[in-house]
Amino acid sequence: MEEKNNMTAEHSLKIIRESIERSQRTINKNSALPLIWWGVCVVFFSLLIAHLWKNYGGPVWNMLWAVLWLIGYAGNWIIEKRRENIPNTFVGKVIGHVWTTFGVFCCGVGMLLGFIGCGMLPVELVMPNVYIFGCITSVISLCFGMGTTITGLVMSNRIIQVCGLVAGIGGFFGALHFPGHTQLYVMAAVATIGLIVPGLAIFVQNQK
Amino acid sequence: MFKPLDPLLHSELRLAVMSLLVSAEEAEFPYIKEQTGATAGNLSVQIDKLSAAGYIEIEKTFKGKRPCTLCRITPAGLNAFEEYVESLKSYLKI
Repeated sequence: MEEKNNMTAEHSLKIIRESIERSQRTINKNSALPLIWWGVCVVFFSLLIAHLWKNYGGPVWNMLWAVLWLIGYAGNWIIEKRRENIPNTFVGKVIGHVWTTFGVFCCGVGMLLGFIGCGMLPVELVMPNVYIFGCITSVISLCFGMGTTITGLVMSNRIIQVCGLVAGIGGFFGALHFPGHTQLYVMAAVATIGLIVPGLAIFVQNQK
Repeated sequence: MFKPLDPLLHSELRLAVMSLLVSAEEAEFPYIKEQTGATAGNLSVQIDKLSAAGYIEIEKTFKGKRPCTLCRITPAGLNAFEEYVESLKSYLKI
C-alpha cells in the first residue's frame, strides 16, 4: 500500500471497508478449527459414554464429561498457540464470552448432577422431580444451539445461524424422545450439526 | 457544505491502519503489515505519525524472547476516525 493523500471519498470508504472485511476474514478463518475440535470431542465422548453406560455399569460413566473439558481445553490451548497471529477483536471477545458462559453453566449443572449420581448430594436437595434429570440433555442441547446461533449472528454467517437453530431446537425436543444412554446419541448429533458442520462450512469457505 | 477531512487520516496507509485498529483491542506490527501489504519501513513511519498525533498508542514489549510492537487505538483516535467517517458521509451524501 502506497502513501497517497489525494484520495476520493469513495476510495477512502473502499479502504475502510476492505480493511475491516479482510480482518474479519482472518478472524473467521481462525474460528473453524476450534469449532471442529470441540465438536469432534463432544461426539467422541457422547458415543463413548453411551457405549460404556449401555454395556458396563450405567450412568456413572457420565463422570467422563469432566475429562472432555480437560482434553477439550488442552487441545484448544494448542490450537490457539499454533494459529495465525490475530488481534483480539470485539467479535472474538463476544464469541469467547458466549462459549465460556456455556461451558461454565454446563460444567456447573453437570458437576451437580454428578455429585447426585455418586450419592454425595441428595437428589431432593436440587430437584424435587427426578424426571428433570432425564431432560438435562434437552437443556444442554438448547444452550448449545443458542451458543452456535449467537456465534453465527456475531460472525454474520447464515450457515452457522441455521445450524444453531436446528441443533438447539432439534436437540431440545429430540432428547425428550430418547431415554437413558440413547440421549447421548442426540447429544452427538447436536454437536455434529452445531459445531462440526459450521466449522467445516467456514473451513470450506476459506479454501475458496 | 462539505466537512473538512482530517489530513492525517486522509492517507491510504494510515486510514487502513486505523480501520484495522478500530475493531481490534490491539494488533501486532506484523499483523498490520500483512493486512495492509505495506513495507515495514513505510508502515513504521506512518504508525509513528499516528502515534505522534495521539491517535494510537505503541507499546514495545516481548513475546517470549522476541521483541513485539503492539499498536492500539486511543479514544482520541477513535473520535478522529468517527469524525472522518462523518465527513466522508457529507461528501458521499449518505
